[in-house]
Amino acid sequence: MPHAASSSSAASAAPLAVALVGNPNTGKSTLFTALAGIPTRIGNYPGVTVEEKVGRFRHRDHTIELIDLPGAYSLVPKSPDEEVAVSVLHGQMKGVAKPDVVVVVADATNLVRNLYLASQVIEVGLPTIIALTLTDLADRKGLTIDVEQLATRLGCPVVPVVAPARQGIDQLGDTILAAASAAAPPRPELTPHLAAVDTSYPPPARDAIARYAWIDALADGVITHRPPQPTLSERIDRVLTHRLWGTLIFAATMLAIFSSIFWLAAPLMDLISGGIDAVAGWVEGALPEGAIRSLLVDGVLAGVGGVVVFLPQIAMLFLFVAVLEGCGYLARAAYLMDRLLVGVGLSGKSFIPLLSSFACAIPGIMAARTIENRRDRLLTILVAPLMSCSARLPVYLLLTAAFVPNVAVGFGWLRLPAVVLAAMYAVGVVVAAIVALVLSRTIFRGPPQPFVMELPGWRWPQAGVVLERVREAAVSFLKNAGTLIVAVSIVVWALGSYPKTPPPEGPNVTEAEIRGDALRQSFLGRAGHLIEPLVKPLGWDWRIGCAAIASFPAREVVLGTLGVIYNLGDVDPGEEEGATELIRLLKNARWDGTDRKVFTLPVALSIMVFFALCAQCASTLVIIGKETGSWVWPTVTFVYMTVLAWLGAFATYQIGTMILG
Amino acid sequence: MPSLDSLPIGSSARVAAVSGTDATSLRLLEMGLTPGVSVQVVGTAPLGCPVELLVRGYHLSIRRTEAARIAVSA
Repeated sequence: MPHAASSSSAASAAPLAVALVGNPNTGKSTLFTALAGIPTRIGNYPGVTVEEKVGRFRHRDHTIELIDLPGAYSLVPKSPDEEVAVSVLHGQMKGVAKPDVVVVVADATNLVRNLYLASQVIEVGLPTIIALTLTDLADRKGLTIDVEQLATRLGCPVVPVVAPARQGIDQLGDTILAAASAAAPPRPELTPHLAAVDTSYPPPARDAIARYAWIDALADGVITHRPPQPTLSERIDRVLTHRLWGTLIFAATMLAIFSSIFWLAAPLMDLISGGIDAVAGWVEGALPEGAIRSLLVDGVLAGVGGVVVFLPQIAMLFLFVAVLEGCGYLARAAYLMDRLLVGVGLSGKSFIPLLSSFACAIPGIMAARTIENRRDRLLTILVAPLMSCSARLPVYLLLTAAFVPNVAVGFGWLRLPAVVLAAMYAVGVVVAAIVALVLSRTIFRGPPQPFVMELPGWRWPQAGVVLERVREAAVSFLKNAGTLIVAVSIVVWALGSYPKTPPPEGPNVTEAEIRGDALRQSFLGRAGHLIEPLVKPLGWDWRIGCAAIASFPAREVVLGTLGVIYNLGDVDPGEEEGATELIRLLKNARWDGTDRKVFTLPVALSIMVFFALCAQCASTLVIIGKETGSWVWPTVTFVYMTVLAWLGAFATYQIGTMILG
Repeated sequence: MPSLDSLPIGSSARVAAVSGTDATSLRLLEMGLTPGVSVQVVGTAPLGCPVELLVRGYHLSIRRTEAARIAVSA
């Protein structure tokens, strides 16, 4: 019968939708990798910033689509992650097939609490399987689980797996195929337990208490403890969460991570810039001078370089975060730092994103993904760009070297330039604390956010999961943010290159003067003139204003732009020669038509404070847009930081002028 | 009845009741801090908050304000 044959082949061609659900830290990612390998689709669920991860694999001639749901403790949702888990399970998530089978990943070392979610999943009414992970660790902890008895009492299959060693993976595949045509397990019988709960509790609380009573009864005789002895994990924990030793080890770890993303990434970043420069040189040699060459070199290549250069820092930070997360230290770090950050309205989980932002806000903002709480995550993202990143350092260094007198202050060894440099870092931190405090008391005001956080057992991070995190972060940065960042830098290139005006003529006109004139006549130059009344109170002439606008794609551009606008031609402020030239030039700059010097100590300080607080980094704003899924937050960031930068620069210049005359 | 945040480090007690009707109280119950369960205060962070608990065989960290919602008995 041809008709029946075609319908049965169509049925086997449609992939079986399987949802993977579980508490955080249950080894769910490891199990996902063991089953499906590299995900076929990673993105965000529509309208929320919760990651959607889907993989596909074949098992005994059946295609299985594996949907990795975000970690959840309960199906009474309290976070966007849990909301997504609930709507996918009920088949209410747009674009995601209703699961045919649900696999609940349950940590065998912590089975009772994991069964809480499992019992709620069973109530959804889909064919359900329990995948029991970390059984090797449970054994070492002195726990024995009677798997058969557990399956009988729950009424659903229970498959023990050791995902890193691929033990039980095939059996889990078989069980999934069998479950697809089986009935859903019976609903947990909570009614008798509900009767015993104090009626003064609200209904959801009564359900929770009754559910644990049901689980305790179910687990009785299923889980047996051998005499308790301190596990290795607990012994490690005693040192690492110790008030003194734990804090010292924590400080050392953070210092090591911070210096690696700062210093170890530098040679790789140089290599990338060198590569881009080489390509630019090749393009310059291959194409005649003109608009196309300029667009390719100063627009496209500069933009691409500005994107790719962030990759080493992003990869390195995510490598550390994934290792810390995998071994369980990320939660301890949040635990140790919480009190300090809660004082300004943040939480312990904000610490690593904020620390990383001192190297670069982009990986820092991406690392805020580890904060489940939406309010804490948004606040962290909004203040992260105030940390003085490595792109501000050349601006600080050059202006300090040029205009801050190298005199001793206080003690013999403390020099004024060092104090100014430290003050720039402090300005960012203090302002971030104030902003976080104000925002958490105003637009982010609300009921206290719970900080109920599991401190998972210590375990070895899985190489596959760690590498997958790094790959995912790099790909999502390049794909989501990269294209927009390139587009922004092309737009700024166009504003600085058009409209074209006839170059100045004369016997002594240099190449540098022609370039300077072109920039001054461009839209950007005109904008500089236009905003002069705005920047004059900061002690700036229109050229500095123009350089500030031109540095919108990236702060470090400001030095190069100052070089061009003052007719120096292209200088590399990173090279000693270029820097000295630029310093000499800046020192001689005069206000148009007068003898008055533009750059004085108050002006230099006002520029530094402006750049410490401003949001002149298109990449950061793009990443904020992508990570929050809305253009509201990058706009808010840009506006508030620019206003603060202006006020800070204004106060610095006015007070500085008052003191120094 | 004493609350969990008043217990010295290293001591154990039984949860008597969890007060409050908001999401935080529900989350405390969902994490297994239900009436009758045994809980041990393992330690605190350097600045005294949060506290680390051992409950139902796993380690849980909660803030002092959250611990104050949990009434305990010996």
